[in-house]
Amino acid sequence: MTFNDLVAKLTEKFPSKINSYEKFGSKYIVVDRSVAKDLLRSMKYDFGFTYLVDIVAVHWPKRKEKFDVVYNLFSINDKLRVFVKCSIENEKTFTVTDIWKSASFLEREQYDLVGVVFEGHPDLRRILLPEFFEGHPLRKEYPLKGRKWFNNADEQGLGLKFTR
Amino acid sequence: MSAISEKDNLSEIITVNMGPQHPSTHGVLRLVVDLDGETIVGVRPDIGYLHRGVEKLAEHRTYHQFIPLTDRLDYLSPLSNNLAYCLAVEKFFNVKIPERAEYLRVIFAELARIASHLVWVATHALDIGAMTVFLYAFRERELILDMFEIATGQRMTSSWIRVGGIREDVPPLFFEKLREFVSIFEERVDTYERLLTKNRIWLKRTVGVGKLTKEDALDYGVSGPTMRGSGVDFDLRRDEPYGIYDRFKFEVAVQDSCDIYARYLVRVKEMREANKILQQALEQIPEGPVMTDDPRIQIPSHEDVYEKMEALIRRFYIITKGFTAPKGEAYACVEAPKGELGFYIVSDGDTKPYRLKIRAPSFVNLGAIEAMAKGYMIADLVGIIGSIDIVLGEIDR
Repeated sequence: MTFNDLVAKLTEKFPSKINSYEKFGSKYIVVDRSVAKDLLRSMKYDFGFTYLVDIVAVHWPKRKEKFDVVYNLFSINDKLRVFVKCSIENEKTFTVTDIWKSASFLEREQYDLVGVVFEGHPDLRRILLPEFFEGHPLRKEYPLKGRKWFNNADEQGLGLKFTR
Repeated sequence: MSAISEKDNLSEIITVNMGPQHPSTHGVLRLVVDLDGETIVGVRPDIGYLHRGVEKLAEHRTYHQFIPLTDRLDYLSPLSNNLAYCLAVEKFFNVKIPERAEYLRVIFAELARIASHLVWVATHALDIGAMTVFLYAFRERELILDMFEIATGQRMTSSWIRVGGIREDVPPLFFEKLREFVSIFEERVDTYERLLTKNRIWLKRTVGVGKLTKEDALDYGVSGPTMRGSGVDFDLRRDEPYGIYDRFKFEVAVQDSCDIYARYLVRVKEMREANKILQQALEQIPEGPVMTDDPRIQIPSHEDVYEKMEALIRRFYIITKGFTAPKGEAYACVEAPKGELGFYIVSDGDTKPYRLKIRAPSFVNLGAIEAMAKGYMIADLVGIIGSIDIVLGEIDR
């Protein structure tokens, strides 16, 4: 199946909810938030995109829709890579852990670093940063420099005390 | 006081901490293991001890300045990381890379694969208890690192691949050494195989341990030898060729038994196939420039800088200010030794990436550790961690 066939079939299924474009050698499907999860499920079970490669959240503070969540999907049978892009207004979105298990780690990472909350994730905790870390470093307002002292580390009863 | 029945007493679950300073975790991986007797009922990885915020740093560096940071991801195969990143940036410009540079990239990537697999076979065997192969594998790895030193000046963090080509051509001595290496390496792999493949202790520790079914492998998104060890016939070099990989003849190693032994066989076969690719590349490599002449991204060579004013200005400009990438997103991935290594770059038309996401194969592969380890003994966990070949520099980023 080529990308155009896929888009035609998906447009039939989700009329006026999806857009597609190709840029810099990658293929994108932009989908409305309301049908995004159905589309992703359909991508796996109807079109054979069994391999979820990556999930990327991008912060756009100046836009109305503040976050882009991009799913990088690969179909091993058709050797086709498709990016499904879904914009969300606030930081809350759905989880895809019930569709692909690999999403568990990937969503935790994006929650940790970008602060997108994947509602319905069974175990949404920080993964790379410590639990007492404040803020989400890959948001645009988070400064690159400036040492942060973890004031609430002690309150959480972790027995850690950071002093100057 | 109520008596505890024998059954209740037996099924008590103990939580044990493993790492982060455990010798078999290859870095600073901490595992919280739930044990029923000696049987594993749950594994929760705790990672992030080596987190350096590479993705945040990328947003504050020009496209060229980020290349040295990619070395520090999977520090056992720095040139594969350079390659993946440079391919992603090149997607923005749609440039033609000179032939010689393409061949050198393939040679570097395959040497990095062999070096990484050699470290894997050495340390993994050492974890399980076979010490001899460690010394043999490191002997050959030393030859590769010497070659890297001749070509790039660095043994490990080489940062030699540039956006648009290679930094500089390699000296003739490199090819001499490479020819010598290619001619002996097949035999050396036989040596490792003689030590391990039919070794009874090795078989007992690896066959039937750490099973990950084909469905699970796809569901957990594992890639690389871990995926191919579970019977998924997929290799980015063949199925989504980048660079000039479509010109080489090689087989993709696939094993169906889904256990640690399958992953071992896949990696050994991959070393042999990488050697074949090196052979073909050595025969085909043409003479010529190693850096593109596209003025948007080209770094002028030193010779030009000393003689031509325009080249001097251009070099000064591109080093200090960097080049701007057009608006949009680009993704490129390579079949790194550990699996699919991808860079997703979002550009807003500036000299720096707006957002850069590294798809680290070890990170995703580690997510499947619970599926692999459940139901096996605690002693097998060491082998299972080893078999997915994780590098913590890449997981924690």
